[in-house]
Amino acid sequence: MTQLTTAERIALYGGGGLLLIGTLGIGLLEILAGAPHPVSGEGQIVHETLVPLTVRSSIMLLGLLLWGAYAVASVAREPAVDTSI
Amino acid sequence: MVTDIKTRLLGQDVSFPVDESRLAYWLVVMRLIVGWWFLHAGLDKFLAWPFDASWFVGGAAAQTTLGPILVLFSDGILLSFTNVMVPLGQTLIGLGLIVGAFTRLAAFFGAFLMTFFYFVNGETGDWSHGVITGDLLGLLIFAMIATLGAGRVLGIDAYLARTDFVKDHPRLRHFIG
Repeated sequence: MTQLTTAERIALYGGGGLLLIGTLGIGLLEILAGAPHPVSGEGQIVHETLVPLTVRSSIMLLGLLLWGAYAVASVAREPAVDTSI
Repeated sequence: MVTDIKTRLLGQDVSFPVDESRLAYWLVVMRLIVGWWFLHAGLDKFLAWPFDASWFVGGAAAQTTLGPILVLFSDGILLSFTNVMVPLGQTLIGLGLIVGAFTRLAAFFGAFLMTFFYFVNGETGDWSHGVITGDLLGLLIFAMIATLGAGRVLGIDAYLARTDFVKDHPRLRHFIG
């Protein structure tokens, strides 16, 4: 059984959490009390949203960056023992 | 055969059984379809050469969250670099996934490219029906392939993992499946 280190927890839980906030969390909030679509079909930003699009995008981008940082940082450590080879 | 995945998440025991043959089958199917998606996208651009990415990295992209980074690549030598690297990257990522070679590396760069596609396409119209788009799902599938190391199933990575070079340099296993 592998255990996540504190840094891995921050990257994986933080990254996943931010992505969930940006998609599901803010999405639910917009459905209930804002504008369900952040942009129009022509690509115009909808300004009636509760959370500005740049804020929502930045939250999701930060989540993806944390995931990316986890992937890059994991190269620095020794991989788990491979018992199949 | 069924294997028990023994692990903890959020402080709880979340061990669960996985049907091994179904998992292996599914990894290969995902790898081939996503691989062809990118290989086709790359070859398509080479067949219609020259490829010009200025409409993507300049133009509408300038107003998006990633705009400040992308506009740096909208002219000069960095645009020329982008015009070559996008089709070359897509072709290599697609090939890597289809033959199962350097699968994790290919999937990482697939997710990297999809991040740009997701935000630029989304903020310029694709999010008109919500922020979960094909681009985001593609990104997540790349992340899943990288996580599960799908190249070891009917892929060249199974051979690479057994080479003396990889055994002597175990960190290389981060890049192969």
